[in-house]
Amino acid sequence: MQPLATTINVRLFAALREQAGWGCRTMPLMGPSTPLQCWRELELGGEHLPVGIRVAINQRFVAADTTLQAGDELAFLPPISGG
Amino acid sequence: MNSTHACLDLALCQRSFDPHALLANWELRQTNAATAVFLGRMRGVSLDGDALRAMELEHYPSMCEAQLHQLATRQSAAHAVDAVLLRHRVGTVLPGEALVLLAVAAPRRGAAQRCCQELLESIKHEAPFWKKEITAAGSCRWVEGNTPF
Repeated sequence: MQPLATTINVRLFAALREQAGWGCRTMPLMGPSTPLQCWRELELGGEHLPVGIRVAINQRFVAADTTLQAGDELAFLPPISGG
Repeated sequence: MNSTHACLDLALCQRSFDPHALLANWELRQTNAATAVFLGRMRGVSLDGDALRAMELEHYPSMCEAQLHQLATRQSAAHAVDAVLLRHRVGTVLPGEALVLLAVAAPRRGAAQRCCQELLESIKHEAPFWKKEITAAGSCRWVEGNTPF
């Protein structure tokens, strides 16, 4: 079992969650990594982040090339439709 | 951007709410000359013309509340308004039920109206909510993006 400090939590919402079949997963952080690299590693759909998919780390919007830190909560968000 | 001391009353609602009762209660505490109000209800028909039975409103807990607070703080400061009331449904919503209630109190109508409109648009694009429509026939569809302005 990986120590907590070397993992991140990944969350998916709405259509992304249903397509992937999971909503929350812990994955190891094996060195410097970005949300885009995690997207590829988790095989969530293609080599590039699809248009409209946004990224949040620790519940703040960030760019897909932001460097992840151990313990981060990474979320992939499909197009928002509130209000 | 102006500094803000606006009174923010923001909340997510798991159950249906009476927007007029909420607004009346909030209005008791306001003394401003101008109040702008937006009330959005769930439509009974999808953009494709299908009759709707219900809608599931999913959100990203904690991030959603934080975004609403940040957006309301930013817009109330930008327009120098005095108070903001926001209620937004999550969970299962039925046609005709209130989805969002937004009221802005300010010294002048321009500030109140502009803040109300811009805050609503920013919520629609920056707060992590997702709508899933359930048609009367029983099919489901995630709504992609927002309805036309």
